[in-house]
Amino acid sequence: MKYFKVVAAAAAIALAATACGGDDKDDSAAGKDPATLKVWMMGDGTPEQTKFLDGVEAEFKQKHPNTDVQIKYVPWPQVAPTFQKAAAGGEGPDVTELGNTDVQSHIEQGNLADITDELDGWADGKTLNKTALANDQGDGKTYAVPWYGGVRGIWYRTDWFQELGIQQPKTWADLTAAAKKIQDGKKVPGIGAPSDQTNALVSFIWGNGGEVAVKEGGKWAGRLDQPQAAEAVNFYAGLVSKEKVAPEKYIGKNELEGPQRDFALGKLGMYIDGSWALKEMKKISEKDAGKWGVFPIPTKTGGNAPVMAGGSDLAVWKDSKAKGAAFDYITVLNNAKNAKAWADYSGFSSMRSDVKFTDPKLEIFTQIATNTKFTPISAGWGEFEQAKKVLPNAVKAIMQGKSADGELKKANEQANTLLNP
Amino acid sequence: MLDTAPAVRKPPGRKAAGARIRRRPRLGPYLLIAPTVIVIALLMFWPMVQIGIMSFQKVGNRQLRGEPAEQVGTENFDKILSDPFFWQTFRNTVLFAVVAVTLTMLVGTLVGLLLNKLGKRMSAFVSGGVMIAWATPPVTAAIIFSWLFGTTGGLVNWCLDLLPDALIGGGWADHNWFATPLSTYTVLTVCVVWQSCPFVAVSVLAGLKSVPSELYEAARVDGSGPWRTFWSITYPLLKPIFMVLLVMSVIWDFKVFTQLFIMSGLANRDAFNLSLYAFSEAFGSLNPKLGMGSAIALVLTMILLVVTALYVRVMVRQGETK
Repeated sequence: MKYFKVVAAAAAIALAATACGGDDKDDSAAGKDPATLKVWMMGDGTPEQTKFLDGVEAEFKQKHPNTDVQIKYVPWPQVAPTFQKAAAGGEGPDVTELGNTDVQSHIEQGNLADITDELDGWADGKTLNKTALANDQGDGKTYAVPWYGGVRGIWYRTDWFQELGIQQPKTWADLTAAAKKIQDGKKVPGIGAPSDQTNALVSFIWGNGGEVAVKEGGKWAGRLDQPQAAEAVNFYAGLVSKEKVAPEKYIGKNELEGPQRDFALGKLGMYIDGSWALKEMKKISEKDAGKWGVFPIPTKTGGNAPVMAGGSDLAVWKDSKAKGAAFDYITVLNNAKNAKAWADYSGFSSMRSDVKFTDPKLEIFTQIATNTKFTPISAGWGEFEQAKKVLPNAVKAIMQGKSADGELKKANEQANTLLNP
Repeated sequence: MLDTAPAVRKPPGRKAAGARIRRRPRLGPYLLIAPTVIVIALLMFWPMVQIGIMSFQKVGNRQLRGEPAEQVGTENFDKILSDPFFWQTFRNTVLFAVVAVTLTMLVGTLVGLLLNKLGKRMSAFVSGGVMIAWATPPVTAAIIFSWLFGTTGGLVNWCLDLLPDALIGGGWADHNWFATPLSTYTVLTVCVVWQSCPFVAVSVLAGLKSVPSELYEAARVDGSGPWRTFWSITYPLLKPIFMVLLVMSVIWDFKVFTQLFIMSGLANRDAFNLSLYAFSEAFGSLNPKLGMGSAIALVLTMILLVVTALYVRVMVRQGETK
């Protein structure tokens, strides 16, 4: 999967090199309708997504008949360099999708336009998820609006649970026991615990009362060396190294580089992923799709752990010459009708309170999403998690037998420096 | 990423005798070479100069948007040179280059000798085969190799699992080749050597074709075996070619990036080499540290310049003795 993305990224660069530029002639009439509106979408893009966006464009044209919408797909692995180039070269979008963990970095760097007033004038703005919106604000101004989000749960095989007499795990001990039973009964690894899946790992830390970092007097202070966090990381890594219910083959990988495929093929008992995985797994194998189920990530002593609310937001690029039209596009893209169509296609929950999934299988995610948390809202999180991959590398080392105390102490020092850029 | 330009360069030391005659300086040749020089200067030298400048600055997104960059002196270099992690990536880079270059030269030369021995049809068949390895883009090769060595459906693990357990032990089906630096680099070496030995083989073959066959006949008459023949005739005559190939292989293997990036990526810092380290600093996240990345890239460039300087020195020495 990832490798396809790399190839796609390479193709996208080649396309971008030939496709950009050449439409600056109509700047003089600022505020008027531009000839083209450049919209950047994250991810590889699919024919279905293009079709959906064509519909959005048609609706947008009712208000701006002279504007053509130009969509560009930016594959996720290529996102950081692409935005760097946009900031440096001025060849940026008008409207862009942003990963919600990156929004604070963009605000800090001055990439986004202030849309506080526009948002106030948009009636539907009141339906937007408040927690998600808070992540789009800085210094009392709003720079982006939440579009969609997703939370993770544990995917499992309902038929195997029934056959082996396993109840839905409510505690960490239950989870280990369930994984062990599957491993013995079905001769496949019980659960996937890849080392590069911070968005799942944090649920274990939060569920145990721990934190990655907390804000103290205007500065982020690491909490990874605290016993709650350490116990959670030890449990997660111990699934591989101590309990041996998670295979070593996922060390150094993320959930897409093995677990998702193996689970879809019936070669893995459980793994952690979001609602959007359903669509991807069906592409791998539809055979057992009817027997896939999801339960919330448990805490150590019982109950549902808080989950990371990942997702995407929509923003107007600061250098855009057509900010009014750009915000109008956002209001069309995220109106009630289109938001529902998008949620049903993509498998991500809409960030509008008035939009729900049509597919009952994904209902559980709506319940999981009532208990969300956010990783530190710091411009340094990008470097901590993406460039340096501090937690994935620490987890990997612990899975391979290094001392957890030592690794977490180092990771905590990194958090102290990197989260305060 | 194989750069074929140097390959067509004539082996040094075979200058035409007439080149020493002084001529009036003429403009024509310079005009002909000007477009190339200008393009290279714009696309290669200018960015290199910029890297040199940026390595003494703090450059992030705000600077990319046009704010003036802050001069930090040698802070970037102090930081990386005092960081044990830098030395770990440095060690990975050097060890990999030593092993990969040795194997590339060895396998490439053997294939070259084989091609020279084979009949016309077979030779065309084999060289066609190695050319495919050479023509494969690094991205494609890296993806193929990570599939070959992958879990669930990986051909290598499947084969190893079929072999009797007494021979190599069991449990290969789920073996993770990319979990530790040593095994990651084993796969990387196989991949890189597979791709770069064809160039060596073809160059050696071209050299062999230019060796007069009388020399080999004389050796045979004197009762020399293949080992002796190689070291007494082939190697001394082809030494300039071997030197060029050696230096170019060193340069290529020092800066291997694509394959490692695809096979192990940013989540395995223990397997980083210098290129990947520079990339992760400069482009790894939305908070780029282009100054740091430039500093690392500059260190890598310096190492390669030293290697090249050594090579030029050797070549000049060889020219003098002739």
